[in-house]
Amino acid sequence: MSKKNVELVASPREPHFVGDGFRVHNFIPYGHRMDMQRMDPFIMLDYNSKFHFAPSEHPRGVGVHPHKGFETVTIAYKGKVAHHDSSGGGGVIGEGDVQWMTAASGILHKEYHEEEWSKEGGDFQMVQLWVNLPAKDKKSDPKYQAIQYADIHRFELEDNKGTVEVIAGEYKGIKGSASTFTPMHLFNAKLKKDAKATFEFPANYNTALLVLEGSAVVNGTEKVPLDHLALMANDGETFEIQATEDAVILILSGEPINEPIAAHGPFVMNTKEELIEAFNDFNNGKFGYLEE
Amino acid sequence: MNSFSLISFLNSNLNVGENELASIIENCETKVFKKDQFLLREGEKCRHTFYVERGLLRQYSIDEKGKEHILNFGPENWFITDRASVFFDESSDYFIQAVEDTKVVLINEETIGLLTQKISSFADFNTRLLHNHIRQLQKRVNQLLSVEAEERYLDFVKMYPDILLRVPQTMVASYLGITPESLSRVRKGLADSNFKK
Repeated sequence: MSKKNVELVASPREPHFVGDGFRVHNFIPYGHRMDMQRMDPFIMLDYNSKFHFAPSEHPRGVGVHPHKGFETVTIAYKGKVAHHDSSGGGGVIGEGDVQWMTAASGILHKEYHEEEWSKEGGDFQMVQLWVNLPAKDKKSDPKYQAIQYADIHRFELEDNKGTVEVIAGEYKGIKGSASTFTPMHLFNAKLKKDAKATFEFPANYNTALLVLEGSAVVNGTEKVPLDHLALMANDGETFEIQATEDAVILILSGEPINEPIAAHGPFVMNTKEELIEAFNDFNNGKFGYLEE
Repeated sequence: MNSFSLISFLNSNLNVGENELASIIENCETKVFKKDQFLLREGEKCRHTFYVERGLLRQYSIDEKGKEHILNFGPENWFITDRASVFFDESSDYFIQAVEDTKVVLINEETIGLLTQKISSFADFNTRLLHNHIRQLQKRVNQLLSVEAEERYLDFVKMYPDILLRVPQTMVASYLGITPESLSRVRKGLADSNFKK
């Protein structure tokens, strides 16, 4: 097994608001050298770094919008989000929960700060990741995997040094709770100060890690400060993370799908013709209807 | 949306070299207008035709009760202007405003004159654009007078396939001349017929 090196450490880009409820730094696809092809199968990563929202009677959020051709994965670290969709689904994503939504053939949804949480206000911290689907699955039926924090499988490090929560894929024999269409791993490593954890993924898997709390050093030398993302090179398999203070680190690694990508806004297809069809379907009500 | 510079847009429609076009177009100013910034306000004289390289404009009027009425959207590769003001030197009845951060080429009458004079195929092309614009306006007037909201909506999304995702529903309703509630009913009706659970 050879070492997987750090290709670059990206600082968070200037934040922007998605609707009025999500203040995000984009890393994929607009971060330096992190476009959809480079990060395949991960095609978008927005990071809402910890941000305090004042109390509001009217929940902030994003109104009705469509998705087609991929999956959205929402990981809630702080705060609560309520969501509804055009197939009648809905729910609340609480702290620690993960919502894995397969938009596939097309869905309309909206997401807001949960009403009671909004009235109280507080710290809000989330990641939204878009995972591409292979062409053969882009037209499958939409579905949800609502993964409660308590149901996420964990690997405990020795000597109480921390845990690796396995959202998808596998870590040292512990299997993730989410099912995926293509092979990938998605973990939250919660490491105490000085704790080390090693990770091993095939060299061709596109891999990155995002530090959400504390700070870390990768492979003994590369410092990754708070709210920074380390993009790993495709040169080897294994790397080690050491927390330099108590840390929470999101780790993502996936096998590239290696198919053409035609993307515009909330639609990610394989060809321009399919994109035009996606717009037509959305405009003509084929994704259903959802009240604002 | 594919976006083209004015030069490549003209180049793909006129049988002429890029250099020849560039020598004329380079005199035009290119500006980025921030979201909500105005390119033209009611009462002003409009001096330019605006070509949208990237972003989105809207042209609208405000009635006596303060209500907005959207005449046109101008997404990528569209030309927008107030012809009454530009050609007949009237004070404008319209606002032209950026709905998104928008990169615009400002084309003045002198440039149109130079293009007409120096590039033989331009006059025909310009006439065709004008006829096309009149065709669209005729259809829009006729639809507002005689056609149900659903058909107007379907025509709107055919002409502007991605605008629904780029502007608030209130703007789409304003363009269609209906209330936001009526627009919701139209879209719900379409979903009822076309959505297969």
